Amino acid sequence: MLTAALVVSDGLGRGFDRAAGAADLPDAIVRFDPEPAGQVAARIAALPDLAAFSLRREFTGVELDAPGHTSENAAVEIIGPGRRGYAIVAGRDLSGRPGEVLVERGLAAAWGMPLGGRIELDGSSPQRVVGFTESPDNVSYPLAGPRVYVAQVGVSVPPGVNLAEIWLRDPHRLDEVLVQARATSYGVHGLRFVTRAGVRVLLDQAAGIVIDLLVALSLIALLTAAVMLAASARAEVQRRLQAIGLRRAVGASRSYLTATQGLEALIVAAPAATIGLIAGTLATYGPTSRLLMMLNEPAPGAALALPLAAAWMAAVAIPVTSAAWPAWRAAGRAPVALLRGAELAAARSRRRASPIRAGLTVLGARLAGARRARLVATATALGSSTGFVLLMLALASALVSLETDPGALGKRYQLTAQLPPAAVGQVRAIPGVQAAAPRYADEAVDSFSLQETIDVIAYPGDHTEFEAPPLLGGSRIARPDEAEVGAGLADALGLVPGSTLAIQLASGGELRLRVAGVVGSLDHDGRVAYVPARALLARDPSASEQLVVRVRPGADLTRVTAALGATAAPAAGATARGVPLVDTLRAILRAVAIVDGLVCLYALIQTCALTVQERRRTLSVIRAVGAGTPAITRLLAGAALALVAPAAAIGIALERWLLGPALARLAAGYATLSLGAGAGAIAAVLAGLVVAATVAVLWVARRAGRESVVSGLAAP
Amino acid sequence: MSGLTRRESLIAGAAVLAAGCGATRSARTGSTLEATWRDPHGTGVLQRAAGEPLIARTELGAPARARRHLATIAHLTDAHVLDASSPARVPFLDRLGDPFQSTFRPQEALTGQVLAGAVRVIRALRPDAVIQGGDLIDNDQANELSLALTVLRGGTAGWGRPYFGVQLAANPDPFYYRPDLDAPRHPGLLREATRRFTSPGLGAPVHPALGDHDILLAGEIVPTAQTRALAVGEEAVWELPPGLTLPPGIAAGLSPDGPPSPRLIDNFLAQALAGPKVRVPADPARRQMNAAEVVARLSGSGPTLDYFVDVGASLRLVVLDLARRAGGSGGLVRPEQPTWLAGALRAAGERWVIVASHQPLPGAEGGEALLGILDRDPRVIAALSGHTHRNEIVPRAGYWLITTASLIDHPQQARMLRVLETAGGGVALETWMLDHTGALAAISRQLAYLDAQGGRPRGFAGTRLDRNVTLYRRAP
Amino acid sequence: MPVLAASGIIKTVGAGRAARRVLDGVNLEVDAGEVVAVLGRSGSGKSTLLHLLGGLDRPDAGRIVLAGEELTGRRPGALARVRLRHIGFVFQSFHLIEELSGEENVLLPARLPGARRGGERRARRLIDSLGLAEIAGRRPHELSGGEQQRVAIARALVGDPELVLADEPTGNLDQDNGATVLGLLRELGDRAVVIVTHEPEAAAIADRVLRLEDGRLREDADEAMALRESA
Repeated sequence: MLTAALVVSDGLGRGFDRAAGAADLPDAIVRFDPEPAGQVAARIAALPDLAAFSLRREFTGVELDAPGHTSENAAVEIIGPGRRGYAIVAGRDLSGRPGEVLVERGLAAAWGMPLGGRIELDGSSPQRVVGFTESPDNVSYPLAGPRVYVAQVGVSVPPGVNLAEIWLRDPHRLDEVLVQARATSYGVHGLRFVTRAGVRVLLDQAAGIVIDLLVALSLIALLTAAVMLAASARAEVQRRLQAIGLRRAVGASRSYLTATQGLEALIVAAPAATIGLIAGTLATYGPTSRLLMMLNEPAPGAALALPLAAAWMAAVAIPVTSAAWPAWRAAGRAPVALLRGAELAAARSRRRASPIRAGLTVLGARLAGARRARLVATATALGSSTGFVLLMLALASALVSLETDPGALGKRYQLTAQLPPAAVGQVRAIPGVQAAAPRYADEAVDSFSLQETIDVIAYPGDHTEFEAPPLLGGSRIARPDEAEVGAGLADALGLVPGSTLAIQLASGGELRLRVAGVVGSLDHDGRVAYVPARALLARDPSASEQLVVRVRPGADLTRVTAALGATAAPAAGATARGVPLVDTLRAILRAVAIVDGLVCLYALIQTCALTVQERRRTLSVIRAVGAGTPAITRLLAGAALALVAPAAAIGIALERWLLGPALARLAAGYATLSLGAGAGAIAAVLAGLVVAATVAVLWVARRAGRESVVSGLAAP
Repeated sequence: MSGLTRRESLIAGAAVLAAGCGATRSARTGSTLEATWRDPHGTGVLQRAAGEPLIARTELGAPARARRHLATIAHLTDAHVLDASSPARVPFLDRLGDPFQSTFRPQEALTGQVLAGAVRVIRALRPDAVIQGGDLIDNDQANELSLALTVLRGGTAGWGRPYFGVQLAANPDPFYYRPDLDAPRHPGLLREATRRFTSPGLGAPVHPALGDHDILLAGEIVPTAQTRALAVGEEAVWELPPGLTLPPGIAAGLSPDGPPSPRLIDNFLAQALAGPKVRVPADPARRQMNAAEVVARLSGSGPTLDYFVDVGASLRLVVLDLARRAGGSGGLVRPEQPTWLAGALRAAGERWVIVASHQPLPGAEGGEALLGILDRDPRVIAALSGHTHRNEIVPRAGYWLITTASLIDHPQQARMLRVLETAGGGVALETWMLDHTGALAAISRQLAYLDAQGGRPRGFAGTRLDRNVTLYRRAP
Repeated sequence: MPVLAASGIIKTVGAGRAARRVLDGVNLEVDAGEVVAVLGRSGSGKSTLLHLLGGLDRPDAGRIVLAGEELTGRRPGALARVRLRHIGFVFQSFHLIEELSGEENVLLPARLPGARRGGERRARRLIDSLGLAEIAGRRPHELSGGEQQRVAIARALVGDPELVLADEPTGNLDQDNGATVLGLLRELGDRAVVIVTHEPEAAAIADRVLRLEDGRLREDADEAMALRESA
């Protein structure tokens, strides 16, 4: 578990920084309408803090053809001299000779393109693929359109550049540089800035919600793993109490006993940790690497070695410490007490007669319950794992909804209807409708220079009820003269919370609003502004309007659609292209869930085996009076039940009231996810627990049945 | 407009003052012989660095031992003290780039404090005389001249009213640097800029030269009825009017040598004023002056600012007035000037002569005539000028052409000159740059450095040979 | 027809160099209602013999038949069933289950799958007749040694077994309690009882006294008489 958590969290959490470093990602990428290279170079050269820059020409919407694959919206970048901004991960860089092309690694993997393969750009003669690149300034195919790089030579294109990559000496001064860049950019149209921090935001948007969730899950897994390791090691010492007492009685010193206990734990823990490390790595490395490739980031690689080594040491240290510490405490007690079989904690005699007639099952439960502290610890650990698995099932279904249900990324409404605002009352009255409101949209340009369209979106009241892209800075709209702007717009105009936004609407009216906050919106490259409806309508009464409808969870969508009438339509989803991403993410989840399931099985087997070990004598007595393997099975079933029942309750409660809400809150910035596990998931997990318990009980009972009764009778 | 509470601004002001005191103590002399401001890593941040010792320049004579100190003079030029809230400004042209990049600067609200910082440094060095090299003010406004003269002569100065210009936080125009919002952020800077401040005064005789910005709007345009009304009025143009077409003459070169046609100017102004305007508080003190008034206030004499004055027993300073009264920023030699100059040189006798003008003589219209006269006089040791905002020292025939940088653009420096008689009858001019002091002035220096349209990318600081050098001139 | 018939029992314990043949051709027959005492030094293999007779262990060679059922060569599950239905054990250290009350301990065999019917009825009767009614609800650690052994005997009898095997039943008891227990073992009706002991008092109640020496059982009639007379 530890390993799995580490691989996933390290890979995803630090993937961007690794990639940015490897690819020598520029500190700012500027796109603009084509300009002569000399003029652009002169403007850039005047910027402060400049280390280097390179100019390129980028063409989008290029048709790309390769054997068996084709794409209509590829991007081709013509490289000039200077720093690259991408890393070559296979093959070599362009040599400047005609006919060569570089492709993104993600594209090469998806299209099965080998080094040396052929690819055609816009029907031109085939170019040879000489290398694969990785550059985290955008996600790779299939999350985004495919991207290839060619040298100036082989292509005949109109002159001018439209992309500049800027490297700074001190990247922390980026904001100052951007201020100067904006100030000297008059006359350059279609200006768009993407900064390294902004790229990170972009990537986080593309997969961020899931990455965040996975990282958080990994941490929970870490915690669970630690608890379980400690509990099982402690149980071992408990089992050995009499042996310890014996040794103390013959004069062994406390530290000697502790050391031997620790050493014994080490002998077991070291190989076990190694196996666990290998298993966890194998289970998660593949899917994580695939995910990272899609994000245009390199796989964890060698840098993971150190954290994995640390995890291995933790996986060994925890049981060793858990064994040594109780041994230390136990060795401090009087040997006589130990020989008598005292527990680590003082035993309490219970005189209360049980109302349940003690059958075998109840006896088994009582046997397991005799070691109260251990039962609690193991139940907690098992419960945590159960809760964890439940959470992942909930997450998997939430991921499915990401693909198909727009009520996920940012948009909180499922239907739109071309009805006048006055009809909103009627719409709200439709059964199954949770909320409805008019939504106004308009196109604008900034009042000063950009000449690039901005989507203006307006709601009469709180827009976060229906659309809530994550807030990156500042706060939500609170006053009628405020606006929320997308990050792309903020970058282009140098807006921060407190700035004034001035835009020219299609009607000719100008809108000036105070920027309350900056949001991460996926639409229109972030060139959006959310404004109060009254402000928009005052300047442009003819803004396009529609009703948006949020459906009550669990309501029948088709019925509501029918009730809305002919003008109803589903809202557009945001991640239609995200299917491969979601599949990969689900693979990661599945891998982690399987590992977790194995841990649950282990905990159950452990409990049963410990029961058998510790109560060898009791078991032998029962067998002596005539209990066969079926009876032992029933006994162990009782023990397992004593563990499974509270664990299941803990797991369900944990997921519903702690894990689910916590993670949903984490993701709330990106999407509304309800991460409470459904009845089906709970039933599945319970069934899994029962199956695991059954397997554990049968296994241990069979082994117990083969042991000698006689030696068991002689046991302490 | 996002404003600070009174309490916050008091605290900010106290902090600034404290920092200012500290800065004054640490950068005591401002002399770049001891310490300079440099950007060693190219990151856009100026840091204190080691000083630059004097380098000997021997193009006009071999190095010789100094025998006698003759005079110490400070050359302070192109302060461009400007009223940033004035409606008579055209900051919206700045974004068009060349040739308009001087119409707005991020640090333009702090010109008074920068001048005071330079004055403080010069005063402490106790020069025998100070040459005020022209373009003392920026836009021919009476309040600009009042504040600048108060700073030079000593006293308490201030703009008298809060800032109300294009750098306000509420201004959505992304082409202006707004200190409350844009990096590097200086919240409350505009409020600080308009607070009253004291200047100790130069404490030495000041000899002014007349520059284009002293008498012409934006250094180019003679005030018209329309512009005068604009200056004291309530309407300002902050945004670039849509579809603005500039008169062809203006768009052409950097500073057209001929006067722009008044009709073109009127046409342009009409277009500009037809666009979106902003209501600003009016201030009658923004009155645009005519040239005679400016000359009178600068020197008490008039109508032109040609004169000579002796500094000590051995040095004569000759000041030439090349400012065009009819418009245009380039230097113009009036027909009577060569004769006058020759006379002034003759009357100098055995004294060494330093000539000062605002515009450099080589680029002025008719400047060759004056240069020819200077070439022939062996007592002339240097011709000082400003106007280009650039540190530059070029040898010519028998004297040095020295240009000093401005106080408004990077590097925001003044120049010190020490005239020494050397063994063998020659003369040596030790010259080094001076950095101003003061907290607000330091912010201005950093903003000026960052400015992508300012002195940094255009190399105004010059090379080391243009700054701290000993200029040797052999005996005549 | 003897209830229990063992012939040619050979058993080696220990491994390697420590291996010892503790039973070297033991023959034993016990009839219903007969009480047999097996004496021997400690380590002579008496307990081993008892375990073999009870189907708790397998002999290396030989044959054991109990109540018409073959014990040797049966699988552990079948042996367990035999034990459940036909054998009752009484151990030296009582071997009661701590988590159960006395009553529940007695009822334990009756609740095992495959137990004879009527176990609960028999348990109640046994508890009453053995004087355990008052203490039946207590846990073993709250009972005295004598009480615990009486509970163990009740447990051994609840399945109405044909054979009762007692391994040092008075080993952990004082004189009085031991006498009580022995008396109970004497009164078991028509069950076959095999008592393994080293105490002469226990041998005194037996109908037959056998001695286990050098891996073989020897009847010692003189010894038996001597013991009976001295009792």
